[in-house]
Amino acid sequence: MSKSNNKLTTCYTYLECNSCKISKKRKFVDGDVVFFCPENCLDCEGKMLITKIFGVTMD
Amino acid sequence: MDFNFDEFLTWVGEDFDTLMMLIWILPVIIFVFYGQRIQLLISSNEIKKDIEKLDEYTASTKKDFLNYVTNNLTSKTDPSKRLDSFFDYFTIMPVDMDPNGIISKINHLIRSREDFIRLQINGMFSNLSSVELSKIQNLLEIVTTLQLFYKHTRHLYLTAKKQKNFPLILPLQMMIPFIMEEAVALKDAMPAIKKGQPIGDSIGPMIVGQMMLKTTKESAAFETVWSKTTFEDRELFLLKAEGPNATVGRPGDGFEKIISSKKPDLVIMIDAALKLEGEDSASIAKGFGAAIGGIGTERFKIEDIATKNNIPILALVVKQSIHEAITLMTDDIANKANTVRDELYQMIRENTVSGQTILVIGVGNTIGVSQ
Repeated sequence: MSKSNNKLTTCYTYLECNSCKISKKRKFVDGDVVFFCPENCLDCEGKMLITKIFGVTMD
Repeated sequence: MDFNFDEFLTWVGEDFDTLMMLIWILPVIIFVFYGQRIQLLISSNEIKKDIEKLDEYTASTKKDFLNYVTNNLTSKTDPSKRLDSFFDYFTIMPVDMDPNGIISKINHLIRSREDFIRLQINGMFSNLSSVELSKIQNLLEIVTTLQLFYKHTRHLYLTAKKQKNFPLILPLQMMIPFIMEEAVALKDAMPAIKKGQPIGDSIGPMIVGQMMLKTTKESAAFETVWSKTTFEDRELFLLKAEGPNATVGRPGDGFEKIISSKKPDLVIMIDAALKLEGEDSASIAKGFGAAIGGIGTERFKIEDIATKNNIPILALVVKQSIHEAITLMTDDIANKANTVRDELYQMIRENTVSGQTILVIGVGNTIGVSQ
């Protein structure tokens, strides 16, 4: 999280399963890289691909 | 002679206009002789506040950078002193009285500087990965730029004050909002760079990186990769900086290598572009010419190769502010990746025919984006 002018930015990682296409959003953890597969899908054991990493800013 | 207040009031009552004239003429006289100094005082006070902010940004980013290095990297000796000397490094641009051949001179100078810094950092720390090395280079660049901003604005401000020269402070007064905008963006870029998160400028490499998945990647130039794929009976050459390093790679050199094996019929460059005031963030624009920023050497090389080989260059850009371009990628920008890819395919369909070859270059810093 970064703080600038009373604005708080939280970084999220968006993952999508290569097999069943299920997607999930979680908070960014160190080592997350777009197009890496850091974990397996809980539903089908397929690979979860990181499709985007982005920040959400709250005032 | 004794002052009689009643007599004075009687006189005022008789000649009120004279008194009013005196009251009004006094400020006019003051402004005629001291107007510039008053203006200088007001302007310089505002500039002084901004300079104090620049000093604060420089000090905080410097501290942040040194803390990051101490806590995350292993060094035999204390790196603070050596890194401190890097903050004051300067670059003397080549003489431009005879501009002939200046691009190659600038290119040589910039590359030498990069190589020197890379070598020095590599020697300072043990077991430094290429990703970590590129992050350190980026962080160092942020601190150095902020320090340069601070020193230059302070120099102009102090010179104007010392010489009591109002016109000298006018250019600074005009430029300071732009300098501050960039300074705030640089300061806010630190957390994303430290954590290796994609920034707004990474949108080009992100789009091309996705197209590169499941293809065989080859090195095209230093910190630059390329691969081949197909689309509707056309051959696509994909080129981007090597992720997830915090680098823009060398697309000019990459293009040179690709063209030595096969000449593409069309080049499409995808990049982030600074939006104009009033334009929406994450809006997409199409155009002609090489979409690539930086000092100009890479653009020159790409334009030169394309001109010599008669290859048209098209551009696809995602508009964003300077702050968005160098800080953590926003959701709006990230969400545009699929739309830009669709636009790219449409562009290919409209401008080429079956059997032709297209080179797609994803321009920008590929931090946190693999391929």
